Amino acid sequence: MAKLWAVIKREFLERVRNKWFIIVTVFGPIFFGVVMILPAYLSVRGMRDVKVSDIRIIDATGAGLGDRVATRLVGGPMGDASATQVQVVAPSEVAAAESAATKDVMAKVRRGYLVLDSLTLQEQKASYAGRNASSLGEMESIQNALRSALLGQRLEREGLDPKRVEALTRLKVQMKAERITDKGRGGSGLGSAIFGFIIAFLLYMMIVLYGQAILRGVLEEKTTRVAEVIVSSVSPDVLLAGKVIGVGAVGLLQVAIWLGSAVALYQFREPIFLKLGIPAAPALTLPNVPPSLIAALVLFFVLGYGLYAALFAAVGAMVSSQEDANQAAQPVVMLLVFSIIFAQPVMLNPTSRLSEIVSWIPFSAPVIMPIRMSSISVPWYELTATIAGVAVTMALCVWLSARIYRVGLLMYGKRPSMRELARWVRQA
Amino acid sequence: MPTLALELRGITKRFAEHVAVRDLSLDVPRGAVYGLLGPNGAGKTTTIRMILNVIAPDSGTITLLGAPSTSPGLLDRLGYLPEERGLYKKMQVRRLLRFLAELKGVDGKTADRRINDWLDRLSLRSPEKDWGNAKVDELSRGMQQKVQFIGTLLHDPEVVILDEPFSGLDPINAQALKDTVVELKRRGRTVVFSTHLMDNAERLCDSVCIIARGDKVLDGTVSGVKSAHEKRNIALSLEGAPTDAVTAVLADGALVARMDDNNRYFEIEMAAGGNPQLLLQRLVGAGAQVQRFELIQPSLHQIFLDRVGAAGVEEGMSGHG
Repeated sequence: MAKLWAVIKREFLERVRNKWFIIVTVFGPIFFGVVMILPAYLSVRGMRDVKVSDIRIIDATGAGLGDRVATRLVGGPMGDASATQVQVVAPSEVAAAESAATKDVMAKVRRGYLVLDSLTLQEQKASYAGRNASSLGEMESIQNALRSALLGQRLEREGLDPKRVEALTRLKVQMKAERITDKGRGGSGLGSAIFGFIIAFLLYMMIVLYGQAILRGVLEEKTTRVAEVIVSSVSPDVLLAGKVIGVGAVGLLQVAIWLGSAVALYQFREPIFLKLGIPAAPALTLPNVPPSLIAALVLFFVLGYGLYAALFAAVGAMVSSQEDANQAAQPVVMLLVFSIIFAQPVMLNPTSRLSEIVSWIPFSAPVIMPIRMSSISVPWYELTATIAGVAVTMALCVWLSARIYRVGLLMYGKRPSMRELARWVRQA
Repeated sequence: MPTLALELRGITKRFAEHVAVRDLSLDVPRGAVYGLLGPNGAGKTTTIRMILNVIAPDSGTITLLGAPSTSPGLLDRLGYLPEERGLYKKMQVRRLLRFLAELKGVDGKTADRRINDWLDRLSLRSPEKDWGNAKVDELSRGMQQKVQFIGTLLHDPEVVILDEPFSGLDPINAQALKDTVVELKRRGRTVVFSTHLMDNAERLCDSVCIIARGDKVLDGTVSGVKSAHEKRNIALSLEGAPTDAVTAVLADGALVARMDDNNRYFEIEMAAGGNPQLLLQRLVGAGAQVQRFELIQPSLHQIFLDRVGAAGVEEGMSGHG
């Protein structure tokens, strides 16, 4: 037991001390933070920055529609009215004004120009030309301003008070999306799906990263021949167990740090957004995650990691060089890739027969089941059976791998064929 | 206390294509320096791995320090230096050594004290530079070899097993290793080492066992082996190159059974019934300028060649037998 502990301690400490581990672990949350805050920040900054107001409006309507559009483009009566230039012209002068405006846009005096005429009033038709004509967002802003201005103008023509019109036409719509499951309503649908996907992806990433770390570790011990020194002190089984547990603990630590910092970021998002000058944090509701789901997730993580760690360890023990390792690891990697390519279809359609089957297969269950679980409620018996299936498969893989490991650890040279592998398993 | 440190009885190990060790029995007395000799592929490494319980023999029993070699805790009393040496390259030397000691059940404090002693002793630590704080891959090859010795001996093992310990050592480290072996013997420890270099074995070993192609060829104390193989061997050196007349005398099958040119002298094995005095007379008669004419014991090397034969060396498979 003391020796197992010594192996675990070495695996854990040597990896945690590694500067890349520290870099990745620290920069992970920063990266998440950026991913979380940047879109919100950019969209707000963008609204302010993008010069949709920096245009010229050639107004030939004779009804002051240009001023209305300008007011809306600069962000209401309080905005900087001078940002948008309104040029009121007679219908006959439109062509001349347009060619002058084109020159100004070419000389970068303005970003573009909007032409409003009698057709705009009658048939809601207008034309825009400018450097930003291909930007969908900016065109939509201008269109929105125009629609709102036209609406206001028409309402006033119908005899409504301009102030009332202003108040009535300035509305913002907010829609809250809520999910309904077999158990009733609860949580935001989008939130759950994203949560499930993040968890699945995290599981996948951890299994790939730390599974490969195990493979490299075993290979290192083989190629440097340290393995021989160690198995003269402890049995290969203890070495294998210590390695899998030690590396797994490093993975758990990393996930814990990442999740912890993500939760902290979420908790303190209001002050952070405020500091960055983003008025309102985007509506984001964390799905309500019951403890049973968390327990199941941890179980899937541990079992899934154990399953793949054992397979990667066996691959490491089979080969004697990095090139061989890459090839020999391919079947294992394929199993993992197979899981993750089903992640999106399952997320989009968690109730389909395909989703069910993929979430039952022990090799893909650790990645796929969490996605299904977070978007629909999976019956407890189905869940139990799946977990049992993964556990049994893991035990089998560990047993097989331990045997391959025992023999392979001291074998050098050419990669064993399937027949030789079978013999290793028998003779170990 | 059992008088034998190690006892092998009828050990056989087969691999898929060949028999690595066949019905091997040997006794290593406590406190002895024991040489396991043989050409490459003779089965030395396989034998050592079975002693260390890394692989199991197909048949036979191994008794270590009076207990079956599979007994729990026995490995802690053994030190092992493998033929192919290697360490975790990215690990700090001191941490690595502490880890190796912990694997042998030494507590951290004792390990730290012994590590410092050893680092001083093998001059890996001086007031200016403590290599114990460096990473393994910052060390020269020679220094890494020293670190590996330390790792083998940190837990003060009762039996030390060294697989080809002299291969790849520079003369300074070879000397340090030889001194360490002598020191271990002085302190009553048992040292078993394998080698294909007979000169090292002859200098260091109390007893030897020669194996070839998985079979034991002979074993016993070095002096016993030598006297059992005593032939009337003669060391002959001549002033200048031998003349044709001298060569003719040396080629006489009635006098000389075999002759081995050692460059500085010929090692001559007398034919059965051949008289050394007659040989000397005839050599002088042929006009040879004799510088040295001495009756000698055969070297282990000579015995090895006699018993195993050049064929045994060539047919031996390379690598780990």
